Amino acid sequence: MNKSPKTIIDEDIIELGLPINPAYVSTARLTASSIANRMGFNIEDIEDIKAAVSEACTYLIQLDKSIQNMFNIQFIIKSNALDIMLTAEKIKFDNIYEEDGLGILMIEALMDYISLSSKDDANINIFMSKKLK
Amino acid sequence: MDFEFVHRLDKAKNQWNISIQGEIDIYNSSLLKDKLYELLEQEKADLYIDCEGLEYIDSTGLGSLVSVLKKVKQFKGNIHLSNLKPNIAKIFKITDLNKVFVIEGAIYE
Repeated sequence: MNKSPKTIIDEDIIELGLPINPAYVSTARLTASSIANRMGFNIEDIEDIKAAVSEACTYLIQLDKSIQNMFNIQFIIKSNALDIMLTAEKIKFDNIYEEDGLGILMIEALMDYISLSSKDDANINIFMSKKLK
Repeated sequence: MDFEFVHRLDKAKNQWNISIQGEIDIYNSSLLKDKLYELLEQEKADLYIDCEGLEYIDSTGLGSLVSVLKKVKQFKGNIHLSNLKPNIAKIFKITDLNKVFVIEGAIYE
């Protein structure tokens, strides 16, 4: 019996929990690449999404002692975009957003939208989005 | 390690010919820096890095290259990068580092 492959559905969410450990950034990249590919992004956009996810993970890992030892990535599939939310629970409420650094500047250039949660929030959230052309 | 690093000193031209394959990110970028520093300790020469096999480099990898460039500039040397894949060339372009390193070959738009 032939069944056609099940298509991905608007608002499907894929969630990934990772330890704060540089060894797993490639896992996040591979997951991002796989999801973006399945959604039909072109090769250049897939590379942009991969790099942006990688930089966001690196940003959290570099905060290290300011956050708990795990962080979460949600990939939210939409009909016209891929939304990505990284969340980490804070330990300290330092002024960690004073300097965004090269990684955040790269995400700004690679994605259509990025926002960082305010320093008063209990969690650190990095939200970014790429439109499906 | 997730990246391969092959190097050979061309004494006639006073340059290190290096080829990097694989991915460079926060996991291994300090290792890349250490390896390049080691070469410069052996011989102060220009670095010619063939990036044909380089699949990905992140901001920490770029940071490592910038640190090495500072060292190379101390003896008026330079870092030359060639055969960048389109995604890598784009990273250099958006960070303006294409103006800091000598990039050989076309920068993809």
